[in-house]
Amino acid sequence: MARPIVHLALFKEDQLEQATEAIHALRHLGVSDKDMSVISGVPYSEKILGRPMSWTRIPLIGGLGALAGFLVATFLNFGTPLLYPIRVGGMAYQTIPTAIVVTFELTMLGLLISTFIGVFVETISPSFGPQGYDPRVTDGHIGVLFSSQPELDPSLHETLEKLGAEIVHGAEAKKLWLF
Amino acid sequence: MAAETQSIPTVHPAAHDEEEDHRDQLMFDPRPREEMNHMVMDAMTHTTPRYWLAVGILGAIVAVCLFGMWGYMIATGMGLAGIRKPVYWGVFIVLLVFWIGISHAGTFVSAILRVFKAEFRRPFTRAAELMTTFGLAAGALYPLVHLGRVWVFYWMIPYPNARWLWPNFRSPLVWDFLAITTYLLSSTIYLFLPLIPDLAMARDRTTGWRHFIYKTLSLGWRGTEAEWFRLRKAISIFAVAIIPVMFSVHTIVSWDFAVAQTAAWNSTIFGPYFIIGAILSGVSAVVTILIILRSTMKHMDYFIRPEHIDALGKLLLVFSMAWGYFFFNDYMVSWYGGYEAVRQILTLHASGPSAWIWYCMLIFNIGIPWLTLWNKKIRRTPWAMFIITLLINVGMFFERYTIIPMTLGHQRMPFDWGEYSPRLPEISIGIGSLALFMLLYLLASRVIPLVPVWEVQEGQEAHSLRKVGKTTVPSVAELE
Repeated sequence: MARPIVHLALFKEDQLEQATEAIHALRHLGVSDKDMSVISGVPYSEKILGRPMSWTRIPLIGGLGALAGFLVATFLNFGTPLLYPIRVGGMAYQTIPTAIVVTFELTMLGLLISTFIGVFVETISPSFGPQGYDPRVTDGHIGVLFSSQPELDPSLHETLEKLGAEIVHGAEAKKLWLF
Repeated sequence: MAAETQSIPTVHPAAHDEEEDHRDQLMFDPRPREEMNHMVMDAMTHTTPRYWLAVGILGAIVAVCLFGMWGYMIATGMGLAGIRKPVYWGVFIVLLVFWIGISHAGTFVSAILRVFKAEFRRPFTRAAELMTTFGLAAGALYPLVHLGRVWVFYWMIPYPNARWLWPNFRSPLVWDFLAITTYLLSSTIYLFLPLIPDLAMARDRTTGWRHFIYKTLSLGWRGTEAEWFRLRKAISIFAVAIIPVMFSVHTIVSWDFAVAQTAAWNSTIFGPYFIIGAILSGVSAVVTILIILRSTMKHMDYFIRPEHIDALGKLLLVFSMAWGYFFFNDYMVSWYGGYEAVRQILTLHASGPSAWIWYCMLIFNIGIPWLTLWNKKIRRTPWAMFIITLLINVGMFFERYTIIPMTLGHQRMPFDWGEYSPRLPEISIGIGSLALFMLLYLLASRVIPLVPVWEVQEGQEAHSLRKVGKTTVPSVAELE
């Protein structure tokens, strides 16, 4: 049995309905959701595409970053005055109102930077699903990628063509990033 | 009894005449994505001799007026500047506050309008976000310039040094450092995130060094569902989180003054007063920039339309009124308090040798906006809005000048009063930082896609015309 390759059913930008029907048809003809992926130049939600919900750990990574920022701020507010105490303006060494300001800034800094790190790491990490691409996607085309045998089932081919798709066989993405 | 409702059919397509009526709005004048991409790429890669002349002139001004003069001042000493007893905070601090204020534009336009789903924001969010980053870059120079001994700036950074001597985290000046750093980093990332799909678009259409840059920065973007999901999630987190950061930055800047026991500074309302002033100047600067982009860059008249200037003009009117309210509130309470030093300062603002600055501030920030911006025709006239928004920013510069050197010069001891006049280094460095901002923007306009094309297309797909009774009205679908 030949190794599966990535096929791409490419729809024009005004053919969103047809693209969603193609996803339904592929599923009906035995292509599982994990062997399918949609690429588009505009964000379409899973509900619109009729696809299973995506997941991400970005909020968790962001939350951990916020916690790290909070802990650093706690050290700066309450730890550093103990390392080198300086009495300023009659204030106590450790003061809650001023600590709130520093804590807020560093917690937000931790949250925002780690959110970005989360996006970066998840984007460059290897992902599941067929790894295909076509530059016409950034011109508004909607692509339905699916892994299948090199020779497509004739009924599948016919179904996709009826929906108006241009079918590209072997649509594996070339190296799009540095690594 | 529950009211019976009848769904209104969507019009696909609407009657020709009615559709034509809405063609002046970008969301109802869609073009194929390929064409929009081409327009943005064409605007970005098209340079004329005039462009390079402008880059050359601005680069020379930055080199001579900013870095040359700053270097000379470092070598000679801070005595070159006009700051001296009793005014030790002069134009450098005025410009710090001014540039930080300008930087509020991007966050306001992009984050707040995004959270509230204001659709008119779509074509110019990036132009505004760029202002935030470059405004902060210009502003962040001033604490260093004002420091004098700039080579010891790292003393502000909290790190375990040999003597275990740490910065004083109870000082607003250290809060400033933390707040500006947080805001600069987060607003730069917030500029970058929605840019990724447009960088991928540019990657697919370029070769050579441009292709390498876009390929590197687009992080291998393909536009899969998972990538879009992650991007939207991250943008949502940023849009919500960066708003309080924006508020905190200018509040902390205001606390540089308000926590001091200085007459006319020790005000509890300074925080919101500074924030509203920052948003007023920032949104004004966005309008100024949009008008310049529209008239100088190819195809920008398709994306930036009178409807956008009109919408921002309405916001400006509201912010001008809010600024007037906060100004009067601050003035009224200070004046009524009867504290002699404060009363003297307020009297001198209005009748002293620099009173023209105070009156110009009121005319530019209140008089002109209130007299003009209620008028739709004026709001839709680019050259008129250009002048008005420019004057608002002059007014906001004067506001900061009134608050800082004009107030410091007349404190509690009359024998210690003095007038402040900026000298050549301050004027030169001020002009240099303005040139730096313009130069960075000019260079970025040819490297960064200034219009978020995917957001525009998304908006155009979400908009439709619905028939209600005898007419058709714009309608927006929730695609998220």
